[in-house]
Amino acid sequence: MTNSKKINKKDIGGLLKEWSQEFTVFIPWRESGVAMLDKWDGTDTGFIDWYRNTVKPAKANFFPPMEEMFRFQKGREGYHIELPLDEHKQLIFGIRPCDARSLAILDMTFTESYQDPYYLPKRNNAVLIGLGCLKPYDSCFCTSLGISPAESTDVDLMLTDIGDQFLVKEITQKGKELIARASQVEEATEADEARAKEVRKAAYGKVTRRIDTKAISEKLLSCFDNQDYWEKVAAKCISCGICTFLCPTCYCFDINDELVKRQGARFRSWDSCAFPIYTKMPMENPRVEKWRRVRQRVCHKFEFYPMNFGTIACTGCGRCIRLCPVNWDITQTLDKLPG
Amino acid sequence: MTSVTDISHGKEFLARGNVYLPHIVVIDKIIDETYDTRTFHFNFKDEKLREEFTFDSGQFAEYSVLGIGEAPFCISSSPTRSDHLEFTVRRVGRVTNALHRLGVGAEIGFRGAYGNSFPLNLLQGKNLVFVAGGIGLAPLRSLIWNVIDNRDRYKKIDIIYGARSPADLCFKYDLDTWDEDKTVNMVTTVDKGDESWTGREGFVPQILEQVAPSATNAVAIVCGPPIMIRFTFPVLEKLGFTPEQMITTLEKRMKCGIGKCGRCNIGNLYVCRDGPVFTYAQIKGFVSSEY
Amino acid sequence: MKNREMEQRLRHEAKTWLEEGKVDYVIGFEPGSLKFTTTPLITKDKDDIDRLVINPFMVNNLSVYLTEIKGRVGIVAKGCDSRSIISLIQDNQVVREDIIIMGIPCPGLIDLSKVELWLGRDRDELDDITRDGDRVVIMVDGKERNFSATEVLFDNCLSCEFPTPQEYDVLLGETSSLVADKIASRDKIKKLEGMTSEQRWEFWKGEFNRCLRCYACRSVCPSCFCKQCFVDESQPQWLLPVPRWQDNLMFQIIRNIHVAGRCTDCGECERICPVNIPLRSLTKKMYELVGDLFHYQAGMDKSAPPVLTAYEYTDAEDFIR
Repeated sequence: MTNSKKINKKDIGGLLKEWSQEFTVFIPWRESGVAMLDKWDGTDTGFIDWYRNTVKPAKANFFPPMEEMFRFQKGREGYHIELPLDEHKQLIFGIRPCDARSLAILDMTFTESYQDPYYLPKRNNAVLIGLGCLKPYDSCFCTSLGISPAESTDVDLMLTDIGDQFLVKEITQKGKELIARASQVEEATEADEARAKEVRKAAYGKVTRRIDTKAISEKLLSCFDNQDYWEKVAAKCISCGICTFLCPTCYCFDINDELVKRQGARFRSWDSCAFPIYTKMPMENPRVEKWRRVRQRVCHKFEFYPMNFGTIACTGCGRCIRLCPVNWDITQTLDKLPG
Repeated sequence: MTSVTDISHGKEFLARGNVYLPHIVVIDKIIDETYDTRTFHFNFKDEKLREEFTFDSGQFAEYSVLGIGEAPFCISSSPTRSDHLEFTVRRVGRVTNALHRLGVGAEIGFRGAYGNSFPLNLLQGKNLVFVAGGIGLAPLRSLIWNVIDNRDRYKKIDIIYGARSPADLCFKYDLDTWDEDKTVNMVTTVDKGDESWTGREGFVPQILEQVAPSATNAVAIVCGPPIMIRFTFPVLEKLGFTPEQMITTLEKRMKCGIGKCGRCNIGNLYVCRDGPVFTYAQIKGFVSSEY
Repeated sequence: MKNREMEQRLRHEAKTWLEEGKVDYVIGFEPGSLKFTTTPLITKDKDDIDRLVINPFMVNNLSVYLTEIKGRVGIVAKGCDSRSIISLIQDNQVVREDIIIMGIPCPGLIDLSKVELWLGRDRDELDDITRDGDRVVIMVDGKERNFSATEVLFDNCLSCEFPTPQEYDVLLGETSSLVADKIASRDKIKKLEGMTSEQRWEFWKGEFNRCLRCYACRSVCPSCFCKQCFVDESQPQWLLPVPRWQDNLMFQIIRNIHVAGRCTDCGECERICPVNIPLRSLTKKMYELVGDLFHYQAGMDKSAPPVLTAYEYTDAEDFIR
């Protein structure tokens, strides 16, 4: 008798179908070769074979690249402002532990002092079904940040691939209720659990890239003013937004209005501290030099966020390393910090 | 952080409804301070909000011209004179130009009051030295009127204010009133005078050094363009002010105003949430010229 | 000349330039932190020079750094890169006397995304990739897979007309042994040309729905050297900086028009797009249009005025009605 359940891989389609009665189901999907979480089309579960991780991180489901904040109309008696309608309930199937942790990290910002009214309802209504990695990338370094590629407590249910089946671990009450209603789910045997343990251990061992996070805040603090170091570090960066947009814990956004005759809307959209105009004011720009922007990015994630919230704002997913046009590597920068 | 140099809020903010939704306010008076700076007097359209709204000197708000954009400005009126509210805008970009095109009766969006405020409890019983440049007088003005309206709680008041030229002096009507006030030492200067200027000439930090207010039992409150701030702090240090005795209010590019969009940070501090009022001790630390 | 010999010569030259104070910086390629990747090396320090390499993966167009580095630069350039440098000289963004160009005749570079498509595996799962003339040998799962170079080179390499640098101070190696396949390289564009305009509109709408406005295409392009890009202007605001497909499409169209006559088809924009938008189908088409209308190819003659800033009496006028 174990505490876990299991489900056959070929029954996943049926399970997702049951869940789509109540939720909008999102699964890993490939469009033009780009892996991302997309609405399930109702039949295709081929992702089980090819899925490693998405390009667009899971944050996009809660903090989308673009969001309408409100709409307004100017009438004779003044402005009439309308809020967008509430979002549907999401079920995200296949979120990796790094991305699941990133949501917990983002929660800290979006609940601090003011409750963010766009992110939080989506987050509270969503169900996360985690899937442990079998094949971490060579750019992954989650284990250095206290995250296992194969296990997570930041999800509602945690799945482990044990061959023809997934082992299912209930993490939250929400997850428990969800799986209790599922018809294709069986009890797992002790052999299943042992197999899962092997799989998790193997995945953990495959994460070979490491960084030393001990005293990293202090190290960064001490070299903050070392312009020579940061200029060298920043030399090949081209100031695009790929690392920040694809980073699961980056959350900077821009707010813009649109006006068409007497009506319009206010949008928020992803922004990046790497862009040259990010801090530009009419009279001056404190970060006009590229090295200051690169320093800001590294220090915000590894020094300022820990100072404010007690956790490093990085989950080691490696997207920034994999997708950077010039292969700028944050792990190399952190390794070579002057003492 | 609970040291005495930290004057950020620590208050729990309870958002009612959607924090990004602006309230509608109506402009009821416009004053041209200079050729490119205007002060707007306004009030909430909603009666209930008019009565309920409170703020402290130093706080700012996000003002919107709906459809054009939103920008942060301090509330330049004092909470002791709250029949209406005021903010002062210099015409430099898209949103500020749109604001300047508005007339009396126009409706704009208002989100606030945000940020921390001047720590009145640390200022009471002290000699106050206000140092301001150009439009930097706007946030200090809220505090100066606040202090003058409760005059007996504070000791000496020195106000050292300067602008590039006589045409750039803001709040001239206030400068006159403070000049006539016997309990206030009003020192006005311009970087370069014109034919009719008979007052002092010189940069604010230079004049500050000449006036040389005593640092004993004193607090200095500084606001102005970043370059003025950077030159004023060393002068104050020379006069014997410790970093905890120097207070400033900073300006950074802002969007959300509530510490979410990430833009306005200086190190781990957000100007919109932990500021805009800081002691020099707070920001002197590890950030080099990020302000 | 084999890669090894070229590398030795490159390192020797670069070290000499730094030691003799001929340049302030050297810009070249060094091995990246991932398999089959190179990354730009920008250094003042002659001890870093031994890291310079020449291999089939040196994709970056290093000329993008010339407009931001202050000082004299020794730069490594492939065929397309050297034309970007000439284009920058034509636009008065780079002074020829301030740079020393180390030209590399380019045999074409291996497109890892094509390799991944052929093998159904990701790049970090491959053991080795070697180029041997017109063949590419890939070791995966202990087994050898052979491909013809035309199957795995970048599309823009397959249509490259000038693999040997046009402008250089030192040329490493003899002229290039590029294997071209012009027809295969135009596959995507040919497909688009065969569509009706409604079909094309739907196609691009679908593609630009994915665009995140990361501006990597702009940042990696040497021709995008504007100090303030038009999308960053707020007075007037040309486009909403919000990733709606309409604004995304307009951004890319206007960017193409701005770089027309400057783009040398280095292919970087398409390579680095994180959401795989086929940007070269726009840039390459623009390149061909410039060739057809003005009989002009970017980056060939450093004394020629940039094509869209000069007027000839013989220019086409049939579009003026």
